[in-house]
Amino acid sequence: MWDYITERHSQLLYQSYQHLSLVIQCVLLATVIAVGLAVVVHRNPRIAALAGGVSAIGLTIPSFALLGLLIPLAGIGTATSVVAVTFYAVLPILRNAVVGLAGVDATLIESARGMGMGAIRTLLRIEIPLAWPVILAGVRVSAQMSMGIAAIAAYVLGPGLGSFIFTGLTQIGGANALNSALVGTLGVVLLALVLDALLLLVGRLTTSRGIRV
Amino acid sequence: MTALDPGPDTQPAGGKNLADAKGAAAALATSRRRRPSWGVLLGQPLFVAVVIGAWAVWRSNAELDAIEQRQLEWGLLGRLTVQHLQLTVVATVIVLAIAVPLGIALTRPGVKRAAPVVVAVANAGQAAPVIGLVVLLAIWLGFGFWTAILALCLYAILPVLRNTIVGLQSVDPTLVEAGRGMGMSNRAVLGRIELPLAVPVIMAGIRTALVLVVGTATLATFIDAGGLGSLITTGIRLLRYPVLISGAILVAALALLIDWAGRVLEEVTRPRGLE
Amino acid sequence: MSEISGVDIELTDVVKRYPGQKKPAVEGLSLHIPAGEIVMFVGPSGCGKTTSLKMINRLIEPTSGSIRIGGEDIGRQNDDDLRRRIGYVIQGGSLFPHMTVTQNIALVPGLLGWDRRRTAERVDELLELVGLDPARYRDRYPRELSGGQQQRVGVARGLAADPPVILMDEPFGAVDPITRQRLQDELLSIQEELRKTIVCVTHDFDEAVKLGDRILILTEGAQIAQYDKPEAILASPANRFVADFVGAGAALKQLTLSRVSEIELSRPTVAEVGAAASPVLSAAKAAGDTSVVILDGKRRPVDWMWTTDLDGLDKVPAPPDDTDLVTIDRRATLNDALDTMLMSSHGSAVVTGRRDEYLGVVDFQAVVTRIQEHHEEQATRVDTEDPTGAPA
Repeated sequence: MWDYITERHSQLLYQSYQHLSLVIQCVLLATVIAVGLAVVVHRNPRIAALAGGVSAIGLTIPSFALLGLLIPLAGIGTATSVVAVTFYAVLPILRNAVVGLAGVDATLIESARGMGMGAIRTLLRIEIPLAWPVILAGVRVSAQMSMGIAAIAAYVLGPGLGSFIFTGLTQIGGANALNSALVGTLGVVLLALVLDALLLLVGRLTTSRGIRV
Repeated sequence: MTALDPGPDTQPAGGKNLADAKGAAAALATSRRRRPSWGVLLGQPLFVAVVIGAWAVWRSNAELDAIEQRQLEWGLLGRLTVQHLQLTVVATVIVLAIAVPLGIALTRPGVKRAAPVVVAVANAGQAAPVIGLVVLLAIWLGFGFWTAILALCLYAILPVLRNTIVGLQSVDPTLVEAGRGMGMSNRAVLGRIELPLAVPVIMAGIRTALVLVVGTATLATFIDAGGLGSLITTGIRLLRYPVLISGAILVAALALLIDWAGRVLEEVTRPRGLE
Repeated sequence: MSEISGVDIELTDVVKRYPGQKKPAVEGLSLHIPAGEIVMFVGPSGCGKTTSLKMINRLIEPTSGSIRIGGEDIGRQNDDDLRRRIGYVIQGGSLFPHMTVTQNIALVPGLLGWDRRRTAERVDELLELVGLDPARYRDRYPRELSGGQQQRVGVARGLAADPPVILMDEPFGAVDPITRQRLQDELLSIQEELRKTIVCVTHDFDEAVKLGDRILILTEGAQIAQYDKPEAILASPANRFVADFVGAGAALKQLTLSRVSEIELSRPTVAEVGAAASPVLSAAKAAGDTSVVILDGKRRPVDWMWTTDLDGLDKVPAPPDDTDLVTIDRRATLNDALDTMLMSSHGSAVVTGRRDEYLGVVDFQAVVTRIQEHHEEQATRVDTEDPTGAPA
């Protein structure tokens, strides 16, 4: 296996980079979309509940089915993987952001407004910082999930380490099938761990010390 | 030391209970938040019925070429659906048979210490990309139904195990003590108090497992274990969008139905008297 | 007074030592708890009072020493069997939320193998005893009950199998003060009927004085600071620790020793629901009363009407649903009585006896008079006789 890795290290590094970059970009995009949506809906309990329901139901749709549905629209390749990964990444963040924003003590918001802070300033200075740990927990779930979905998306020729896994599948019986599938799988696990550690670090740096657990 | 603390040897457990109680409170809050109203419970299958109905009308009237005709033949669709359901049900039953007793064992005194280790292992199982798991197992054990089942089980065991443990741990310890104090045996306390009170959390875990399994079973087609996923792979391979889309719609519809069945099950099994 | 149905408890040199702790939680506690009495365990938090209580039903196993209940060494008994014969009541009732009131109460009878009918009858009997209408409450779930009602069911559950000994751990700690006072009164009147041996842990010294036939004051390591009747402890604290614990205003706490039953009650005009109104009005006028106490068929007070409101009516009306007539039990302390009167629009309070039966009305002046008498008694008394009339 070591030989396998050294032989293909440049390809491996490239695909790892592609995989990580796809996931990070999609999760970033998803965070912006999800927090934005949550900000809009969280004041209205009915719509917020609806958002929670949509998030739960969206997550039940198998990723492979969504990839299938997207192919006629976005074609085979990167665009389909980006849309699919972003779609799923939005859902856990949306759910957590709604819960997190709703969980901010109303008296705190009232006192911020009472001190003369505007709605937007209150949102940016008070609400989002207080909800941040919960939102970030959603981001971590999204990141882990996106790693796996990006791997499946390789079937429709999306970028990343999934291609090693599918190569292993098509070459079953061949000498390198196991190496290829193993490298792909472990690579994704490794990237997931690295990204999670990264997010934990981001969490420590961006969470107010006053509410850090 | 204080009389209220049973002693330092149980204090770590006490601390953990506190953390779990917080988790349980969060779980409770979300479960109340997400507790489906009858509108959702009725709306979901209704929506699926409309989608399937519309698809069936299209399927009956669409002009399909010979390949599409063969791939979307009613009998084949029925067989694939049954295969998909078999994968889902068999895997879920096996997961239940393993994870619930294991979860119970891991909350009993003495074995408790092993719980974090086992949960970590189960966690790792879920961290691996499921497609990698499926392919690796197929390389090791060969293609087929039981390999797919093994992959599904490995992937879905965590939510049931974790929720069983959390559900049992979040039962108010004073209720357990009340039961013991009234003269119930450990077994009676488990069967009549702890498990019934943990049912909602355990059932939530089972629904999560069901949804994971029904989605992941789509990938079974890669290792010749059948299921509706084969419509999608065929559709992509042959570039036949009608087949591809039909597969995607049927899989999504089945997943929504299974999720709905899980919700109904949650409602039905929730002990009366609990909110 | 009914017959004693409790048995005595004897603790001999009981020690509880937790591994890894230098000092034992309970360091050689020896204690005799007489049959049919209420003994209150009080002390600062961490003194070992709850540990001591839980060793009596072996929820906590003693490290050494022996505990005998009714002469039998509990260490030799199967712990589940032992606990089925000891009632256990915990703060807030600790009802099982997934079981109905009936299922909660019937649990121990079920464990003891009682048949269905006997159990059902027992459940209804107990609900009556704790003042809950069986037809209305037996099929409810705990969350459909108020805190006070839950606690009542908790007491009923503890009494279910008619155990001779009942252990209570801060039983009334989770309810508001007014409900707590009522629950205490009810416990006293239940105890008057049943005469169990009750061991009760509390952190509230006033509660200990009110409920206890004896009070056990513990210091760290469950060392006995004083074990005596409440009036004796109030009159002569054994040491500085007890004096501090009893706290300032020991004289005022004497109020907690006097019961409403010591006061002569006034008896204003009463009327039963549904009786013709005019004879009631004329009787009230003749007696010079401006208000009339309304009783139901079982002579339980349900309302207290001004005569002006009754004027012009045909019959004495049933009380409106939202009427919340505040009554006090004759076992209530003068403290409680003053509290209740301050809430009542009549400046006095309706007093009830066993099973809420109407006894009369106590007014502010009567309480003040009694306090003055009490003060004079205290001043002249040398020995500590028992002013509560509690069983010695």
